[in-house]
Amino acid sequence: MNHNTRHTLAAAVLAAAGFFAAGFAQAATPSLAGIWLVEGDFSTLKTSDGKLPPLKPEAQRKYAAALAARKAGKPAFDTLTRCLPHGLPRLMFAPYPIEVIQDAKQVTFLHEAHHMPRLVYVGDKLPANDDLDGNYMGFSAGRWDGDTLVIDSGGFNDLTTLDKAGLPHSDQMTLNERMRLIDGGARLEDLITINDAASYNKPWSVRVTFKRMPADYWLKEFVCTDKNPDAS
Amino acid sequence: MKRTIIAAACVSACLAASLALAQQANGLYRPAPKLPEPKYREQYSSMTDQRDLSGVWFIRDYNRRFRTPINTLPPLTPFGKVEFDKRVKAETDGSPYADASTHCWPHGIPRVMNSPYPIQIFQTPGKITIVHEVAHNIRQIHMDVPMPAKVPTSFLGYSVGHWDGNTLVIETKGTDTRTWIDEEGIIHSDQLYTIERLRKVENGENLENEVTMIDPVYFTRPWVKKINYAWRPDMRISEYICEENNRNAPENGVTVAK
Repeated sequence: MNHNTRHTLAAAVLAAAGFFAAGFAQAATPSLAGIWLVEGDFSTLKTSDGKLPPLKPEAQRKYAAALAARKAGKPAFDTLTRCLPHGLPRLMFAPYPIEVIQDAKQVTFLHEAHHMPRLVYVGDKLPANDDLDGNYMGFSAGRWDGDTLVIDSGGFNDLTTLDKAGLPHSDQMTLNERMRLIDGGARLEDLITINDAASYNKPWSVRVTFKRMPADYWLKEFVCTDKNPDAS
Repeated sequence: MKRTIIAAACVSACLAASLALAQQANGLYRPAPKLPEPKYREQYSSMTDQRDLSGVWFIRDYNRRFRTPINTLPPLTPFGKVEFDKRVKAETDGSPYADASTHCWPHGIPRVMNSPYPIQIFQTPGKITIVHEVAHNIRQIHMDVPMPAKVPTSFLGYSVGHWDGNTLVIETKGTDTRTWIDEEGIIHSDQLYTIERLRKVENGENLENEVTMIDPVYFTRPWVKKINYAWRPDMRISEYICEENNRNAPENGVTVAK
């Protein structure tokens, strides 16, 4: 074995080690833990290609009424005016930090907005809507697809809107989210697909990104019924 | 001979009866629940790690009234007794004072630790977080840092924690005076300083919280209340929206049942 061969062998061993390391890195579940803040303004949702969501006629009427009420300064439809929850997906767009805590069984989103927790149960299967209670935050079941946390949620009531503008949804809505780290973990991406055949002609998607905040950020107390900050 | 046996029987029976009575007066101390199956429990490293408090816990001895371990009223100052009596009378008369929970505000410390709803504890670097089902309260504890000289006032106060052996010690100051200590009428001033000592007992099935309350305005000396929580890996935190079902919203500071 001459000098060069040894080098080649060493390189091969290193390459193999690197390959395995990469393989393991890929197989390991990434950690979404940290403090995140939404990027951009999602107060008037559009589809990911910038269009008005495919509203059915009845939903279109509700949306028009909501827009008019907002314009008139009386957005009574908006749950936030009564300190009621944003619901989903709207809470994901709220311009307040979110702390994510993760373990093998549960990914927990602690929203500064309204101090609302969202608990995603990893390994659970989303039950049918009829088997769920029907509340503001619904039920979220998660699973890992490679580096992506896939969240299926359902069991919502129909009291909230998808955005501040007032896009409606029914209690038959389910959401599918694909959440993963981007930019080397500096940002978090959430591709949200809204499935609601009662309100929309077809499923449609919106892409949200979050920037990582300093790890030493602590959620501030948020008491809507005390100070009623204008949460969006 | 026979009399002696009867007397001995009475001693133990009477003791049991009086103990039972004391426990009832303190709120029912429920036996630890039967959990689904043994292998379910083995998945939890928290069972063996005395410093791992993570998971869902549910109060075992809920009582809306705070009493000392010997079931007496706390050592109230004359002023504290007047304020307490006012609140008890108002409630008896059917127009209770509005407390923080009536307004859907966070319930304060230590009150939020005494709710008949589950809590979930999270331990992350430098931080312990408690998610309370009741009124979606999120409590955060700063670990291994000193209590700042001045703390901002907030409903859940400012909490620092450290481990003393296998006991988690949480100190809290700055709890908003609009919160009460219990649901009956024990209130506090801005000088309230609470020290909680939490430790796992009964092989990790029970979390014990010994709460010491210090407030020279309302109490003549520090006093202690014990709260126990059962380990409930079979339970999950549900949605609780006070703001939705707030039927007894206060009017001019007084709750009116509707």
